[in-house]
Amino acid sequence: MIHHLLHTLWGQASSLFGIPLHRRRWMDLFVIAAFTGLVMGFVLVARQWTGVQHPLVEIDLSPTALPKYALLSLVRASVALGISLSFSLSVAYWAAKDPLAEKVLIPILDILQSVPLLAFLPVVLLAMVRLFPHSNMGLELSAVLLIVTCQAWNLAFSFYQRLKTLPSGLDEAATAYGLSRIQRLRWLEIPFATPDLVWNAMVSVANGWFFLMASEAFNLGRDKDFRLPGLGAYMSSATERGDLLAQIYAILAMLVVVIVLDQLLWKPIVAWSQRFLIDESGSVERPRSWLLRILRRSELVVRIRLSLARLRPKPKPRLESAAVPHRDTTRLDRWMGTGILVACLFLMALVAFKLFEILAQVHRQEWLMLLGAGGSSLGRVLLSTTLATCWTLPVGLWIGLSPIWSKRLQSVVQIVASFPASLFFLPLTLWFLNRGVSLNVSAILLMAVSTQWYLLFNIIAGAQAIPASLRETAVAYDMGWWRTLWRLHFPAIFPQLIVGWVTAAGGAWNASIICEFVKARGTNLTTTGLGAIVTRSADQNNIPLLAAAALLMAGLVVLFNRLVWDPLLRLAENRYNISR
Amino acid sequence: MSAPPICELKGVQKTFTGPRGKNLRVLEDINLQIHHDEVVAILGPNGSGKSTLLRLLAGLTPPSKGEVRAHRQRLRGLNPAVAMVFQDFALFPWLTVEENVRIGLRAKGLSEDEVRTKGHQAIAKVGLEGFEEAYPRELPRGSKQRVGVARALAVDPEVLVMDEPFSQVDALTAEGLRAELIDIWQDAERNPSSIVLVSHSVQEAVLMADRVVILSGNPTHIRTIVENPLPRPRNTRSRDYRVLADRIHDIITSAELPDVEVSGPSPANLPTPIEPIPHVGSSDVLGLLEFLETQGGSCDIYQIASQTQVSFESVLSMVKAAEMLNLVDTPKRGVKFNTLGLQFMEADIDERKDIWREQLLTLRLFRVVLELLQLREGELSKEEVIHEIAARLPMENSEQTFQTLVAWARFGELFAYREDKEILTSE
Repeated sequence: MIHHLLHTLWGQASSLFGIPLHRRRWMDLFVIAAFTGLVMGFVLVARQWTGVQHPLVEIDLSPTALPKYALLSLVRASVALGISLSFSLSVAYWAAKDPLAEKVLIPILDILQSVPLLAFLPVVLLAMVRLFPHSNMGLELSAVLLIVTCQAWNLAFSFYQRLKTLPSGLDEAATAYGLSRIQRLRWLEIPFATPDLVWNAMVSVANGWFFLMASEAFNLGRDKDFRLPGLGAYMSSATERGDLLAQIYAILAMLVVVIVLDQLLWKPIVAWSQRFLIDESGSVERPRSWLLRILRRSELVVRIRLSLARLRPKPKPRLESAAVPHRDTTRLDRWMGTGILVACLFLMALVAFKLFEILAQVHRQEWLMLLGAGGSSLGRVLLSTTLATCWTLPVGLWIGLSPIWSKRLQSVVQIVASFPASLFFLPLTLWFLNRGVSLNVSAILLMAVSTQWYLLFNIIAGAQAIPASLRETAVAYDMGWWRTLWRLHFPAIFPQLIVGWVTAAGGAWNASIICEFVKARGTNLTTTGLGAIVTRSADQNNIPLLAAAALLMAGLVVLFNRLVWDPLLRLAENRYNISR
Repeated sequence: MSAPPICELKGVQKTFTGPRGKNLRVLEDINLQIHHDEVVAILGPNGSGKSTLLRLLAGLTPPSKGEVRAHRQRLRGLNPAVAMVFQDFALFPWLTVEENVRIGLRAKGLSEDEVRTKGHQAIAKVGLEGFEEAYPRELPRGSKQRVGVARALAVDPEVLVMDEPFSQVDALTAEGLRAELIDIWQDAERNPSSIVLVSHSVQEAVLMADRVVILSGNPTHIRTIVENPLPRPRNTRSRDYRVLADRIHDIITSAELPDVEVSGPSPANLPTPIEPIPHVGSSDVLGLLEFLETQGGSCDIYQIASQTQVSFESVLSMVKAAEMLNLVDTPKRGVKFNTLGLQFMEADIDERKDIWREQLLTLRLFRVVLELLQLREGELSKEEVIHEIAARLPMENSEQTFQTLVAWARFGELFAYREDKEILTSE
């Protein structure tokens, strides 16, 4: 099979030279070049991953080293996305098809989705390094694992929800024509879920960058430096050495990565995924991508696809009598599913038991201190969200309501939003401190900086979705700008605003881990807050306090979600849903 | 007939589990045989379980009681003799016409060559050659349904089962599609040997079918099966055709609007039974009355349906609603204003609402809800009303009944309803 593939590939490549240039064959060359680059990148990464762990990572601050670091970060991010996708798709599929698993998995996913997982970074890091003491594998794996934990849940949720809301007509047609499970997945379930999955993958990757930049730059304790060679580590050592130029280089490199990803990956994928939209109204302008247009014209890609199609195994004819039974799952499947479920629960019970033991070591006074810190972190999160709302609401409305500006700024906002703010947390904090701003205040500012984009993005989307007829009504009845704002714009964007708040608050909790405690130039700076306690206790190897703080933060977030955000979301869904 | 039927329903009952775990019996004691070389049309009021009957036949859903047989064998799972065409086409929007048609063939695990040839033949049969690479969204509705038919024909079924196949297609295109379908069916050498179609139009049934199955009642049963011996091609203007169509109209009308009230024995241990209300909005009833006025105050129900392009079953429901409100009389298959109806038409909007409200109060359902509302001091939750409806009208869809109740009461200003809080309040 491989031989066949190589033959077709090579055959195509050699025929390239004999063909007149005007037929856009340069695109084929580009495809080959990209493929080669990818292979070389992976070789580089493999060497790094299996390398012996150094106590201190030497970061080369010359700009020529940046492509290597960017590549290393990029590969970590993509490996993580691959793992996240396969993990979350299988979990979601399982939950959607097995009612028992559904009852157990969905609440767990729901909690994991909302909990600030960066709090668990130190825990994971310590565990992984202990597992692989002699190679970089442990560090690399913990970075990847961390990204996976922040990416997987929203992907799993979106796939699960799509599986549960298959259009009934198509679902029935698939059953009526006797599609097998694989065929169903391929022709019905995956295509139907694709637009949502693409969107969520974009969000996930942006999240992943935020986490990766944080985890690459993470150093714990005095004797060990857990930094991984990558953009995040480059930035942190540049900050440490006070090399302003290198800091700018790092930010530029990250920007280039984000833009390249946007142009070469997301734009084509989004444009391609349009064809999986069920909605048949063709009024909205469809997203386009120059790359996709060229790729579709590339002769090489077409040939490769054709030869791959030929390689597919021949279908075995199914017997006519083997009719599909009414129920979806067979008995064996169900038993296996239940078995895995029970095993998982058992494992979780073990972990919980162990955790209980650890938590028993935390004193009552420490708990009180933790509660107080939780309160001040919560205050910071809310303040930063309010702060971000103050400027994003008018700006978002303005952009969303103006067709010209939303067209111009859409991709800019998208790129800025996917830029990981965690990259410049450290330099920015130091800059603030030098200007006499306390860590308490700078933490709020940093949270706002990292989460404002979610808000802006959602408000723009909400404003764009206001039906033209309603806007015309407001003009026709001369409602005046204040009344229009109060009676039309606010209610119309309310659902998106709430979603934006939920996401922004979640992001702010994550940011609290990195921005409430700063370790720079040999000194530790800290302020009152749960995030500070998490990082500090990890630094001092105080496992019980670390576990207690991380769990308390998770509990606080879940509680807040249930008590505040959930009722608001329900209200938005029932009363301010414009599409109903 | 001597040859055994291709498939049959024997003593089939179908029950759905409704909201709050209540069982909703949809079909009762259905016996139907599908023979070779025939077209069977199924007619019945909206929501009477026509589509469910079809899905039982296709093996998409198992019967609650009784059995479905194909070639004398009891069916477990899909019916191999049947291929289905859907009302809303159910085409995969991300697959081209060709790929959509090939779906059933691939599911059967045929070889690539066979998939290609059979797919191509089916596309050619419905005249879609040249559209193979198009996506469904590029096609008009008529062509979409052609793709649906081609997909079904591709798997070479003995019985083509169609769920209101032309109701989403404009009238003229539907005419063409019906004729083409009969042409395909008349080729006796090839499958499909028979066609079963659910229809909402008596015209369509008489034009296409050899037998017309008329469903009625609650739970639904087969009221009668009318044989249609008219020779093909059928002329819709011929006398025989019109006589047959009128006969079927009469049967349906007499089933839905009986001239004499049939009062069944009411078991003493149940709460007082209340009359179910047809699920039509108040504006539909008003529209019907206005139309009736333009027709001089009386009209044939079938005439209303054909002139307003509203399905016969829907018109029947509206007439039934107007009759319950005592605004019209329904002699035979006609409908005409009575004294109150005439008074209603002359009244201005406030007086109309007064009359409407008074008439609502003659219906037991509204009296019951109003009493409950007074009992709860002017604030009644939707849940309680639904519960009450479910207890007293176990055969009805309580959610739909509730929606109708609210719509009628709102027009008569009998009581108000806040949707976001889900409570009824007194006006």
